[in-house]
Amino acid sequence: MISPFPKSSSKPGEGHIVVNLAPNKVSTLESITYQYPLKLISPSSSSANKGSVLVFLLSYGGGLVGGDRVNLSVDVQSDAKLSIVTQGYTKVFPSITPDIVTRQKLNVNIRRGAALCLLPDPVQPFERSVYEQIQIFKLDSGASLYLLDWVTQGRTARGENWSLTHWVGRNEVWASTEGGDAKSQLLVRDAIILDGAAGPTRSQTLRESMHGQAIIGTLVLRGPMTKRLGQFFLTEFAALPRLGARDFRSNEAREKEDAVPRSLFDDWRATRLSQEKDLGILWSAADVRGCIVVKFGAPTVEAGRSWIGSMLVQEGSIERDFGEQALICVR
Amino acid sequence: MSPATDESSQQDLELEIAALESRLAAAKQQLAQSKSGVRSKDDNPPHPPIPPTITTSAAHHYLLLLSDSALPLGSFAFSSGLESYLAHGRQRTPNQPAPSFPFFLPLSLSSYARASLPFLLAAHRDPSPATLALLDDAVDATLICAVARRASVAQGRALLSIWEKSLAPSLSCASLSGALAPYALLLRTPHSADDGEAEPPPVSAHLPPLFGAVASLLGLSARQCAYVFLLSHAKALVSAAVRAGCFGPYQAQRVLAGEGLRDAVGEAVEREWRTRVEDAGQRVPVMDLWVGRHELLYSRIFNS
Repeated sequence: MISPFPKSSSKPGEGHIVVNLAPNKVSTLESITYQYPLKLISPSSSSANKGSVLVFLLSYGGGLVGGDRVNLSVDVQSDAKLSIVTQGYTKVFPSITPDIVTRQKLNVNIRRGAALCLLPDPVQPFERSVYEQIQIFKLDSGASLYLLDWVTQGRTARGENWSLTHWVGRNEVWASTEGGDAKSQLLVRDAIILDGAAGPTRSQTLRESMHGQAIIGTLVLRGPMTKRLGQFFLTEFAALPRLGARDFRSNEAREKEDAVPRSLFDDWRATRLSQEKDLGILWSAADVRGCIVVKFGAPTVEAGRSWIGSMLVQEGSIERDFGEQALICVR
Repeated sequence: MSPATDESSQQDLELEIAALESRLAAAKQQLAQSKSGVRSKDDNPPHPPIPPTITTSAAHHYLLLLSDSALPLGSFAFSSGLESYLAHGRQRTPNQPAPSFPFFLPLSLSSYARASLPFLLAAHRDPSPATLALLDDAVDATLICAVARRASVAQGRALLSIWEKSLAPSLSCASLSGALAPYALLLRTPHSADDGEAEPPPVSAHLPPLFGAVASLLGLSARQCAYVFLLSHAKALVSAAVRAGCFGPYQAQRVLAGEGLRDAVGEAVEREWRTRVEDAGQRVPVMDLWVGRHELLYSRIFNS
């Protein structure tokens, strides 16, 4: 007997999100589908007063078990806005053998005037994990992307410190043309390869090569909505104190200058700079082919999180355009 | 001799014989192919497309020229993050080790190999201007550290000038000497960018693919090309270390002559021999931070 129900075409780990702009100018979820081990949740409240549709990217059991495949595709239709967040680290559990690769793939299309804000929690690869994450973003002209990709040293409580077997994280930003992608052009390919098994060189372990960093991250910004935030990072990078510079002011002059009341922003910057110095946060920002690429590293996960959070909250445009819900993973 | 060592040395010999035999077979196959004029489509590992007009002795001569530190690429102006690494070491947090050149050198080689060799080898396989332009665009998208980009483009442009002004005229075959002309023309064509979302330029003249193409046109094998490219990187680093005051010239030669460096270069070539262009990237993430933050140094000897 033929089943009266439509056949499910979904494969394990597959998911699809479509967001469009409703006639009342509010971003709405057109469809959302997923299969184990992927889980997607969108709080049902309207996005009307929040700016964007919010989707939680989850997995059953809070992590990916060796060999899991997640394959998520996302379409953000013209002028719609979507924020994707997670609920805690994406844990990558160990693989029994190195040839069992845990994979997460993300394919995103962002149409003209639309925007995706993807600020998840960091990925936490456990000891002996083998992970490959490939995220491909195709942006029509006038589309915007905020992408944060970060990875931690593992579970420090269990003595893990870059104890993973293999890690590949690749992010590609493409400029596409509406209709076909025959003329798509690769703008930026950010790829990190961590080889825990063989080490980056024969004489050095992965842990040594990380040089005390507990977390490393990349923020990529592209498109008209990100202009102000991108400029903010470039300006703050240019304003960093020079390494090896000396303060030639006399004590008196210094006290006098410190006594002059500063603006709230100058206060924030001074506090942030002293934290960067004390905590050992390293970062850089550059404009690469029309994308702003920010790289950062920190000796503790929390230091890294609070640094990026402080930058994004202080500048404020994500909160304004997507609602504070988009920032929950960086606070 | 004890039986155990006897056995292991016998094993070593057997391995060596097997390796020699496979090399002989590969060489015979290559000879047969070049005689019949047929080249199999997916040569792997890539065979050098030795043009008939370049003799082995000429190729050897060019190998020495390309490996010369006097090759006017301006490499002496770049430290590939070494200067920044040393400066960061002076303000390190307690959990970070003190800066040391023996730590930096192999990491830098490994990092540079993963970021550049795939493009270099691909251009060596096919040095046509169209492929070269595609590879150049791919490097431009993959190299996302501003300081490293400037260093790559400065040296790439210098190499293109050397090719046009000095190397190409020395070749008698016009199809060889003019091989990169369309690429150079593309580089010099003014790039029209509408300001809204500026499109990247069609070509930027990054060093790795250009070096691969030039070496290929001059008859160098893929192995030679990759080895010389990484050795030049190591030489530039060691020379930078001397000028940054890490050690003196004798120690520098000792590092260059040492087994450690030979191993590191050979190993890096071996590791990235089959790495696809799409899989190029950063093996040592903190390297991006050191190189990128070179701009923050108060005083600088180098441009990177």
